[in-house]
Parts: sequence; C-alpha cells; structure tokens
Amino acid sequence: MSKDYQMKAAINQKLIEMGERERLKELLRAKLVESGWKDQLKAHCKDVIREKGLEHVTVEDLVTEVTPKGRALVPDSVKKELLQRIRAFLAQHAAL
Amino acid sequence: MKMEDMPLSGPDNTKLEALVNDIYSELVEDACLGLCFEVHRAVKQGYFFLDETDQESMKEFEIVDQPGVDIFGQVYNQWKNKECECPNCKRLIAASRFAPHLEKCLGMGRNSSRIANRRLASNNNMSKSESDQEDNDDLNDNDWSYGAEKRGEHRKSQTSPRRSKTLKHKNEFSPFQYNYNAGINYEMLGPDEVQSFLTTVSSFHGRKKSFQSQRCPQHTDEQRMAVRVFLLGPSAPVLPEADSVAVPESFDIPDGQALMSRLQWEDSPEISPSDSASSKASEEKSGSPFPIKRRTDKEPVSVSLTGTNHSDSRSLSTKKKKPKLTAPSISSIYDDLN
Repeated sequence: MSKDYQMKAAINQKLIEMGERERLKELLRAKLVESGWKDQLKAHCKDVIREKGLEHVTVEDLVTEVTPKGRALVPDSVKKELLQRIRAFLAQHAAL
Repeated sequence: MKMEDMPLSGPDNTKLEALVNDIYSELVEDACLGLCFEVHRAVKQGYFFLDETDQESMKEFEIVDQPGVDIFGQVYNQWKNKECECPNCKRLIAASRFAPHLEKCLGMGRNSSRIANRRLASNNNMSKSESDQEDNDDLNDNDWSYGAEKRGEHRKSQTSPRRSKTLKHKNEFSPFQYNYNAGINYEMLGPDEVQSFLTTVSSFHGRKKSFQSQRCPQHTDEQRMAVRVFLLGPSAPVLPEADSVAVPESFDIPDGQALMSRLQWEDSPEISPSDSASSKASEEKSGSPFPIKRRTDKEPVSVSLTGTNHSDSRSLSTKKKKPKLTAPSISSIYDDLN
C-alpha cells in the first residue's frame, strides 16, 4: 500500500538524515567480522572463483553466489541486536 | 526482545516489524555487496590468493627457534670473534674495533689528533712551508660549520709554529739575530734609502710629539750602552733623551765617521713608553737621532754601513729599525727629497 510505502520512505529518509543508518551499518560490519562471518564468506568466494576461473569472475557472479549464503550465515545474536536497534529508533522518531 | 517497550498497536506492529526487517535486510545486503566488491577487486588486482603460498616457500620463511640464532636463522655475533689485519700497522684487530682503529692508525678520523701529529712532525723537520700547506688542508677537513672556517683560519695563523717561535725569541738579547721577518729589509737598502729612512724617523719624531720614544722595545738601555761601549770605546757618549725636539734642517757634520757610527747606533730616544722622565743626558740635539738629513756625500754612509762588521751593521741597522715606521711617512719623505 502506498501509505506503507510512504511511511517506509519517510523512515528511511529519517534514518539517513540522522546518520543512524551509517552507524547501524558500521555496527553490523564490525559484528560480522568479529564473529568470523566475513572469513567464512571469503572462503566461499574462493570456491566460487576457482569454479568459475580466476580470469572470468565478474561481480554479478560473486553477488549471485555469495549474497544468499551471506544472509544465511549471519549469526542470530547479531541479527537480534540489529533488529533491536532499528525498532528503538523507530519508536523514538517515527510518527505513527 | 522487550515487548513492553513497544507502545504500538497490533496491525501497525506487524507492519512496523516488517519495516524493521526490511531495514535489517537492506543492511545485511549492503555488507555482502561490500565483501563482494572487495573480493572481486582483489581477484582482478591479483592479490586475492596471496595467503596461499606453496609449501616450499612456507618452509623457507618459517620462524626459527634455535638457540644462538634469531628468528630468521641469522647468527647474532658472527663477526665478534673474527680478527682483521690492519694494512697500516699489521696488527690483528677485533672486527668491531676495526673501523675506529683504522681511523686512528691512518690519522684520518675526526678524533685522530691528526693536527697534533702533523705539528710534531713539522716541528721536528723545521720546515715552514709544510705547515702552511697542511694548515689549509686541515681546515677543509674539519667538520663543516659556517663561521668555524673563518674563525679557524684566524686561530691557525695566530698559533702557527712560526709565529710562536719568533715570539719566544723576542725577549732575548740577540743583536745578531734580530727579527728577520719584518717588513723592510734593512740590509738591502741603498744609501739613499737609508737616508730617507733616517729622515723619516726624524720627521716622524718631530711631527708626533706624543710619540714618547723611538727606541725599540726589545732592548734595554743597558744593552744599548753595552754595545755602544763595545763599538765606540769606553768614551761612548750617552744616549740622547727620548723626547728631543725635531731635528733642524741643516746640520754640521763635524766628523763624518764618528757621526756615521753614531748614526748607525741611533735609535736614540729611549723607547720606554712607561719611562716618561728620561733622565739620560738631554744634550746633543745636534747629535740627536739622525744628524744627517740631507747628505750630499753619500759615500761614508755606504762605506760605514758595509765597512764595519757585517753582523754589527746588520744589528745596528736593525736596531735602528723602529717597528713603528709607517709606509705613509716614508712616501712623504720621498716627496721631500724629490
């Protein structure tokens, strides 16, 4: 529904404006590295590259191969914490 | 999850939750994309597989953990026990002391007392020119600093061995070994020049009344009297007074020879700047310093100069020579003569 869409857009805009999005992003990256998610995924990348051949790897290949696995590999704790923070932000700033 | 913190209603809640999840998904996707770009760049730049070296290379750079060796496998004090033979003195020197030893041995380092050794050598050889040249070299070798060169040069000239030697001899009574290095060489002067010199001093003496005495500071009056007695006999007249007035233009020349001898002797006025009251007999203005100003007859002058003992004449002429004679006054006297 457009109303939802509007709301979503508004909230996104707010996130960016207040710099919260950047903060969340950095937080997520740090947590993923800390948990070893990045190394796991990199190893998976190596497999993909060896499979496809070093010279012919494209970004699209990597993305299509890696993203679903990445999404799945995120640890629960990290996921929960991030969701928490987002909700808190919305509760503070969202005009509902 | 703390549900009690959510003041939201049911249907909104799900929407909100969906929203939150959406936002979360976007963030995760951003992270994955970032990683993909990083890996892709590493692959294309060629540094992606760097951490996968072959076993052989791995073995080569393995960390070494043996005693007596560092982690690279290199021995720490390998050169400690080795000795080198010095090419100069043919001694066996420890390797760690070799460079400083060479510095001293060859006399080339900063602290090798090269100057001192050279001075000793030049003193032994009594060779002046040697020391001059080496002084210049030494200055160039010194650690460079802007003002030091100038200062060093001055210092060097002041403390050169030549100078110190002449200063040492200064106070000795040695009429036959006067300072040869003065500007004017009195032995070489012809009769005209001698005359001009004599007149120079007399006019100088006349003009500058403040100039107390014209006697050379290197000899005492006793010395002068002794020499006078020696040459002129026991009846030598005493030295005239220091501040006698300017010599009159025309002179009687009673006795050429005696006068000439006196002439040669004359550094007449006492040179003792501290001696203001010169109690010596103030007689003989006519016999005062340079009785003969304009001599027509120049023969005796030269004869007497050369006739007497060469050593004496040399000493006399050098005695006459006043260190305070200046070039300008001499040139003025030449003008007078002309």
